[in-house]
Amino acid sequence: MALLRYESQVRPALVEGGKDYHQVTEDICRPVEANPSKLWWTGFLISVGLLIFGIISVAMEVTYGVGQWNLNKTIGWGWDITNFVWWVGIGHAGTLISAILLLFRQGWRTGVNRAAEAMTIFAVMCAGQFPIWHMGRVWDAFFVLPYPNTRGPLWVNFNSPLLWDVFAISTYFTVSLLFWYSGLLPDLATLRDRARKKWRKMFYGVAAFGWTGSTKHWQRHEALSLVLAGLSTPLVLSVHTIVSFDFATSVVPGWHTTIFPPYFVAGAIFSGFAMVQTLLVVTRKVLGLEEYITIEHINVMNKVIVLTGSIVGIAYLTELFMAWYSAVPYENFAFFENRLNLNSPYGWSYWIMMGCNVLSPQIFWFKKMRTNLVVTFFMSILVNIGMWFERFVIIVTSVYRDYLPSAWSTYYTPTIWEVGFYMGTFGLFFTCYFLFSKFFPVIALAEIKHILKRSGENYKEKMDEIEKESMIEFAEHHGHDHGA
Amino acid sequence: MSQNKYWQSFGEVNDPENLKKISQDEFQEELPFEGFDDKGLMDAKAPRRDFLKYLGFSTAAATLAASCKTPVRKAIPYANKPENLVPGVAKYYATTYVQDGDVVPVVAKVRDGRPIKIEGNVLENSSFAIGGTSARVQASVLDLYDMYRAKFPLHKVKDKFEEVPTFEQFDKLVGDAMKAATGSVVLLTSTIVSPTTKDIISKFPNLRHVQYDAVSYSGMLLANEASGFGRKIPSYNFGTAKVIVSLGADFLGTWLSPVEFAKGYSKGRKIDEKNPSMNKHYHFEGHLSMTGSNADERFTHRPSETGAVAVALLAELGGATAPSIADAKLAAGIKKAAADLKAHNGEALVVCGSNDKNVQIIVNAINNAIGAYGTTIDWSRAVNYRQGIDSDVAQLVADMESGSVGTLMIHGANPAYNYYDADKFKAALKKVKVTVSFSEKMDETTELCEYIIPNHHYLESWGDAEPKTGIVSFQQPTIYPLFKTRPFQTSLLRWSGDNKDYETYFKEYWTGKLGSETAFNTALQNGVVEEAAGGGASYSGGATATAEAAIAGYKKGTGTEVVLYQKVSIGTGAQAGNPWLQELPDPVTKATWDNYALISMAKAKELGIKLDMDYEYYPGKPVIKVTVGNKSIELPILVLPGMNADTIAIAVGYGRNESIGKTAAGVGVNVYPMATFNGTNVEYHIAGATTENLNKKHKIAQTQIHNSYEDRTEVVRETTLATFKKHPNVIPEWRDELRDAFYKNANNDFRMATLYPQHDQPGIKWGMSIDMNSCNGCNACVVACHAENNVPVVGKSEVLRYHDMHWLRIDRYFISDKENPDELKGVVFQPMLCQHCDNAPCENVCPVAATNHSSEGLNQMTYNRCIGTRYCANNCPFKVRRFNWADYTRSDSFPDNQDQKIVGKLDDVVFQMNDDLTRMVLNPDVTVRSRGVIEKCSFCVQKLQAAKLDAKKENRPLQDGNAKTACQTACPTDAIVFGNAHDKESAISKVRSENTQRGFYVLEQLHVLPNVTYLAKVRNTDELIEAEHNEGEHATEKTIPSAPKTEESH
Repeated sequence: MALLRYESQVRPALVEGGKDYHQVTEDICRPVEANPSKLWWTGFLISVGLLIFGIISVAMEVTYGVGQWNLNKTIGWGWDITNFVWWVGIGHAGTLISAILLLFRQGWRTGVNRAAEAMTIFAVMCAGQFPIWHMGRVWDAFFVLPYPNTRGPLWVNFNSPLLWDVFAISTYFTVSLLFWYSGLLPDLATLRDRARKKWRKMFYGVAAFGWTGSTKHWQRHEALSLVLAGLSTPLVLSVHTIVSFDFATSVVPGWHTTIFPPYFVAGAIFSGFAMVQTLLVVTRKVLGLEEYITIEHINVMNKVIVLTGSIVGIAYLTELFMAWYSAVPYENFAFFENRLNLNSPYGWSYWIMMGCNVLSPQIFWFKKMRTNLVVTFFMSILVNIGMWFERFVIIVTSVYRDYLPSAWSTYYTPTIWEVGFYMGTFGLFFTCYFLFSKFFPVIALAEIKHILKRSGENYKEKMDEIEKESMIEFAEHHGHDHGA
Repeated sequence: MSQNKYWQSFGEVNDPENLKKISQDEFQEELPFEGFDDKGLMDAKAPRRDFLKYLGFSTAAATLAASCKTPVRKAIPYANKPENLVPGVAKYYATTYVQDGDVVPVVAKVRDGRPIKIEGNVLENSSFAIGGTSARVQASVLDLYDMYRAKFPLHKVKDKFEEVPTFEQFDKLVGDAMKAATGSVVLLTSTIVSPTTKDIISKFPNLRHVQYDAVSYSGMLLANEASGFGRKIPSYNFGTAKVIVSLGADFLGTWLSPVEFAKGYSKGRKIDEKNPSMNKHYHFEGHLSMTGSNADERFTHRPSETGAVAVALLAELGGATAPSIADAKLAAGIKKAAADLKAHNGEALVVCGSNDKNVQIIVNAINNAIGAYGTTIDWSRAVNYRQGIDSDVAQLVADMESGSVGTLMIHGANPAYNYYDADKFKAALKKVKVTVSFSEKMDETTELCEYIIPNHHYLESWGDAEPKTGIVSFQQPTIYPLFKTRPFQTSLLRWSGDNKDYETYFKEYWTGKLGSETAFNTALQNGVVEEAAGGGASYSGGATATAEAAIAGYKKGTGTEVVLYQKVSIGTGAQAGNPWLQELPDPVTKATWDNYALISMAKAKELGIKLDMDYEYYPGKPVIKVTVGNKSIELPILVLPGMNADTIAIAVGYGRNESIGKTAAGVGVNVYPMATFNGTNVEYHIAGATTENLNKKHKIAQTQIHNSYEDRTEVVRETTLATFKKHPNVIPEWRDELRDAFYKNANNDFRMATLYPQHDQPGIKWGMSIDMNSCNGCNACVVACHAENNVPVVGKSEVLRYHDMHWLRIDRYFISDKENPDELKGVVFQPMLCQHCDNAPCENVCPVAATNHSSEGLNQMTYNRCIGTRYCANNCPFKVRRFNWADYTRSDSFPDNQDQKIVGKLDDVVFQMNDDLTRMVLNPDVTVRSRGVIEKCSFCVQKLQAAKLDAKKENRPLQDGNAKTACQTACPTDAIVFGNAHDKESAISKVRSENTQRGFYVLEQLHVLPNVTYLAKVRNTDELIEAEHNEGEHATEKTIPSAPKTEESH
């Protein structure tokens, strides 16, 4: 009978534990349907606390002015824009995982894409806070929107990279949100169908947009996914490219660098994956989803981290080389004095960046490290610290000592409200994430079922039984009884 | 059927078709809803989008109107318009700034009855009204609106001041008291320069008049008397001097009449490229002063050695026996200066800042030896700036102590604060039966007096000043007195039994003297009258030998010496309550809102103060304790290069008490008590001081923390005269190289600079040129900019956070020897303001186009469009953009948001500046910026517009010189030239075409195409800088190794 057994060894199972479809549904819906745990409440309340701190911090800044932050006549941007770029960077992994990996037909992405996409949206929401609230007159923020107005020929300045940011970020946010939500539709329908309480039925019913699972729905859903994936893919590259233009198109030594777009994108993916790791290492444990978000996922993402980390490292070295090779004294000074020189006021921040972003991820060349959860978690935090410092280094250490030595700045440290604003975005992020993990399936239920190898496994198991049987037993069990 | 036609109008008969059509049409006029069918929607005249626009706008407007209430302030128009007054049109009155003995002829700009700006008075053919101002003159208009001014007559009853309702009552009170008091009647004043006042004083029966100068020139007066000139001070003519030697005289900053001296001095600093020559300035001093910073060759010595240096100089000129000068460099310097003086007989000048009679006698001998009398020193126009004699004051204090003084009237003097032994004065004051103060403001002395009858501010006063023999400068009121104040001359008249008021007296006096009312009016209009000079005086050298012997007997200074100096901004402290002056960075230290001990690097080492990164990047500076005898003070240090190792310099004028207002109270430390009296003169340097590092810190608010220009020759161009003569084309060659690198084969700068379209400047293109060789760092322009452009004052707490708002700042860089940073070679002052780049990096980064380019080449700021992203400030290579970090001006739509408590607490001064009275100083032509917007230099666009309008009204083209910026007119050295660069005949075009060897643009290599030309600084030394050719290339290599060193050193 062996001839009947044909097995294609394409890949190992992406979902472990030999789940069948029903089990998958049960496993993933359980956290949504169960009452929130104490742990959830604790985390949620801490997040809300942070969010409130952030709101107070922003309120202080809006009421009293940007002087509530320690920026000054030389350093126009500090923690605000550092945090903006940092959060935007984090918001890159989700779309990369959903869109680019979808187009590349990477099946493993289904285990992590939902959470990563959610993370993207929340991170972009956090990022968006900074350019808005860093404005001196935030109540006039709508001036950046090009809409027909009564101010005569007054229009936005299309030459300004900040304006490009407005378009880039808002487009990215919209597309990411649509992508995420359209993916959620079948899952919401599942939750609706499983709902016992009336409000749940209502809530998920409305949220599911009347999804019935008809073939037509599925067909359209698939088409939409592909279209959105196609739209998102260039966005992954463009958003951080445009963010990098804020600096690259300026005249500030240390900002004015053509390497920025690819370097920023690589850095964004780097930090995005690190953040996904941070979240999923915890989520899989807490929600008991180890069989869906497997060690293999962690392993694969760590590979991405070591790759992008090394790209970023090469970018750093290239910058240094160019600073030297260009023989521009100002650029030279920005890199070798403001940054590389450990004895300069902010030299320490450059070396934190180097240590966290370039040196430490190299341990992921070892599989043992890649598959170690504790190491992964620790590293993911380290990478995000490093990436925060990268932005800090770029922004602050460039402007604080630029062309005119007379304008060189005193030492810049953040005020409580600057820190508070940053903490507040953590609050916003985790509040959203906690709500998301409570009310939505953190794993794409419908999509992960595509990659279940259950039917093949069933077939194999059954064939094993059959093979063990004698012909008679086989005939007995499987023969057609044509009547006694 | 009837054939009759019934009609009502001709239209009905003649054109019934049309009428019918019209009558059917509901809207007889054409509605703009046309063309939906035949044209595209967007091409239609009023598409539906318009409707949406209006809807959107009205909704938004309603929301805004409903939510943001800006408080309405009512402005009431004139019911009866005064004659000759057009609201909104400024009037200018010639008047005179008189502060104690300082006299500067000025013109006050009066808008709608309020003086708002002071300009230097420029009068044709005048030797005195030559334009230019100082920082203190510029700031004086703010004193008028000082909320801490004394507002009405006061009488002290049981240690509390009570208002005296009328002047008559006050006169009676004082009159009765004076009658009852036994003993002499004394009037204690600062130097009186007014002839009418002197006349009134002389007519006051049995009045003893004592003049007292906070910083005394008594030694000089006595020395001149000893040299046969009488108790006078001569006019100094710096303009004709080819060699100037200053022995510690800060003549560009604080000595005698700095505005006038700066003007003359700058004449010798202008360089004609065809035949480059300059005056040569030697400077000998203990600490680094502003004038010393401008010197070509500078030598340091202990302050107590001034006499020895003077004698040594005289000895070199053959007039004395040379004392031993231990310091070889100093000795060589004296030799060199003497040789130069000798070589320029009749074209040389020696001035000395010492208050020692003997030293000044020696200086007189030197000036005689070099033929200065009659050439650079003019005795026919003796000056009246300072007349106080120290021993007179000491005698008065002694008399007061003995109880022989019955009545003491005080005007302009504040000995309770600035007398060397103020405690003694205060104790003595208690023994005087009747004490009257005429002070405009409450101060340390006035608060101890029994009767206070505040004087007018000079802008409210009639008056005159005779700064020099035969030259009279007039004062006329520019505003009705704000408070119940009275000229002190009127009081004197009343109390001496004359019932005239001062105004009448003054008018009669001058009408009589000038011959007619017309002459008087002309004099007022011109501001200055010049009469024939007095007779000269001849030098007699009889006192020299005695003086030399006396100096030889002076004890050699040991230990550390403390020298008291005046800061350019605060001076003697008389205007210490002025926020503009307090916030004005010191030219040399760049520090605001404090005094401090200036110490040398060697001294810092000795005190164990590390000049590391923390010292530079954190405002907290080490506090030391300076002890002299039984007096000791604690104050922070600042380390400067070019200080004598054993000298500690501390500025006077600080440490005022609460009485003068919250703003200046508690700022710095009062060091007047450290001065000593040697029986003849007050001495402002004290030997034998000990210092101790207290290991604590005090924050000093500096506006610039880095002192070296790091060999960035693209930023600062400076050279020596010898180098300049040998290689005159270094700068043009370097600029050509830059050009070639960018656009070898193209002719259009702009095209090669940017992708964006070129700005057209069809008519005017404004441009500025700043001569760094003329600029001496006096900061008059900075205050002028404050006044003209309503630049906010942010207070020390905000300056500490690097939030200062100066639109125009003067960058100061030290040029030191590479190996020995303490060895100061020179100091560069570089006024830095918006460069109005043609390819401005700030313009294209603003997301909302709030900063843009005008058709006249101005980079302009649209405040109400600005949303405050600060991107422009980051992208400005010159870092001249300023952001309103808080509601400094109380012009925000958020009410009560200046009371932040946790972060960024605002100092009292911000509230003072927002007081309704203080706000009267605001220029109504310039928007007061609200919080959250960027602001910066506008090239005084309001003045440019006004000039263009005037030209238009007069139907003539704008002429060169019609439009001037505030900094330009304030400048006493004409360092700033401004005008239309398109006009080939304009001054700016000429300056540019005539100074191609020195002209450069800052950071020209960035290709931002600035509109401000700088003319390189040239130090008049023989040093040859050969490497300068390749500076640009070498800069790369130099920058890196030199940077850490300079960090440690400054």
